[in-house]
Amino acid sequence: MSTTTNDLTGSAVNASAPITRRVRAYFSPVDRTSPAPVPFDTAQSGRFDLESPPAPWVDLGWVDNFTRKSTSEIGPLAAGAPAMSVVQVRHKVDAWVSLRFLHWGKLQMALAAGSDHWNLIAPPGQSGTNAVSLATGSTATALMMSVTDAAEFSRGQAIAVDVDYSGQTGYVGSGASSAYVGDARALQGDLNYVRRVTLNVAQVAAVNGNCVHLTAPLVAGAPSTAMRVQPVNGFMDREGGTFFQEWSALFVMQGEEGERILYNYPRLQAMKGGQEATQPVAGTLKMICLTAEFRALPVRDGRDGQPTLCYRSFLPGTGMPL
Amino acid sequence: MMVDTKDAFYVALRDRLRTVNPERKMLVRGALRPAILVEDAEPVSEKMPRDVYVLRWTELGSDPSLPETMAITRCEIHYCTVGTEDACGLDRGKVLAAMDADLREILKPPSTPGMNYSSTPATATGVTVFWTEPLFSPTKTTRDSLERVASVTVLARCVEGVQ
Repeated sequence: MSTTTNDLTGSAVNASAPITRRVRAYFSPVDRTSPAPVPFDTAQSGRFDLESPPAPWVDLGWVDNFTRKSTSEIGPLAAGAPAMSVVQVRHKVDAWVSLRFLHWGKLQMALAAGSDHWNLIAPPGQSGTNAVSLATGSTATALMMSVTDAAEFSRGQAIAVDVDYSGQTGYVGSGASSAYVGDARALQGDLNYVRRVTLNVAQVAAVNGNCVHLTAPLVAGAPSTAMRVQPVNGFMDREGGTFFQEWSALFVMQGEEGERILYNYPRLQAMKGGQEATQPVAGTLKMICLTAEFRALPVRDGRDGQPTLCYRSFLPGTGMPL
Repeated sequence: MMVDTKDAFYVALRDRLRTVNPERKMLVRGALRPAILVEDAEPVSEKMPRDVYVLRWTELGSDPSLPETMAITRCEIHYCTVGTEDACGLDRGKVLAAMDADLREILKPPSTPGMNYSSTPATATGVTVFWTEPLFSPTKTTRDSLERVASVTVLARCVEGVQ
């Protein structure tokens, strides 16, 4: 008989309870112009290498304060006289998840803010350049261009890669729906608008001749020659706006005995604007963490047609008692 | 990465000391250098050298809530003095105060670009090495010597993929 106590000395711990350290977060952009996203196939891909998630999942690093909350309401359906509860029904299905990002980057900021997220395009002449055209042969991690254009970029620089704005309306942004244009006139013909809001950003790892190498793959994958590249000085979000980003999320708890718990939210939207929390590091140094809360939105499970907000999967470790 | 962090911290302080107080020098193995050294990179000595900042790396930090790519280490900066011969050591309090002041100066600003000194010329690592404000110990008196230890925590982010 196993027992669990706060004082582990001299006692045994229920060995079947997973023991983990941290939660790793992966997100995948939802293409708003296509049907609902497909849930993650845990049976097929659940054991993926945490350092190398399967496409199209983007690794957003470790998170903490990971909290899931189901606010679904279940009530009885009474019948007869006197009324007796004969069955139960779900009359509200709702769930949210909150967390704190331990990494701070473009996508973490964008996710935590929830609305359109701006790239601060570097002005030409101030470490910036006009948008540079791409040549054929570019990949998600290597951008081909003329030698002259490539010389405009340097290691460590952030860049945005996307098409020129040419008056289109609706969702814009390659790889992920980054903003919604309802009225093109509001943008006043800004040629760089899509690159200002795109989530298709990367960091330059090295420049070799006519090739700009990136530290991580672009969200949109290999860019087309219709896309252009611009240096980015930083990022900005704002409280306000009407656009809601939408992402699929996958959270992984890796157990110490090889087991793994996965939480898949096919559709998440931010429940609040940008907020931060501080955590002491050393001395007076504090780490600024992005906090985020997301509401889960439904998809229809292709297996049985049931509306679903999220999935929890458990992959036992070898030899673990079940 | 940890070696780069330590090296960048030491070189930054050494170069700043050369500017802040060019007269604060020491003679080590025939070379006249700014009076700051890394203890584990010099011959073992029974006594702490006087009027010299001695960097001693102690704890290796690990904070599970930080990104695992953060290098954290603690550095103790030991220094002591018996004052000047001209004043027969009667100015040792004043000299220690001057060393306190110089140390505060060279620790500002509390950051420096990360460098890799394993090859010549040194190459930039692309990260920033930064540290906490110094914590100064109370003055310790050992016979005619006044001693102090200042502690700082030194941090640097490891960037993967940036070559």
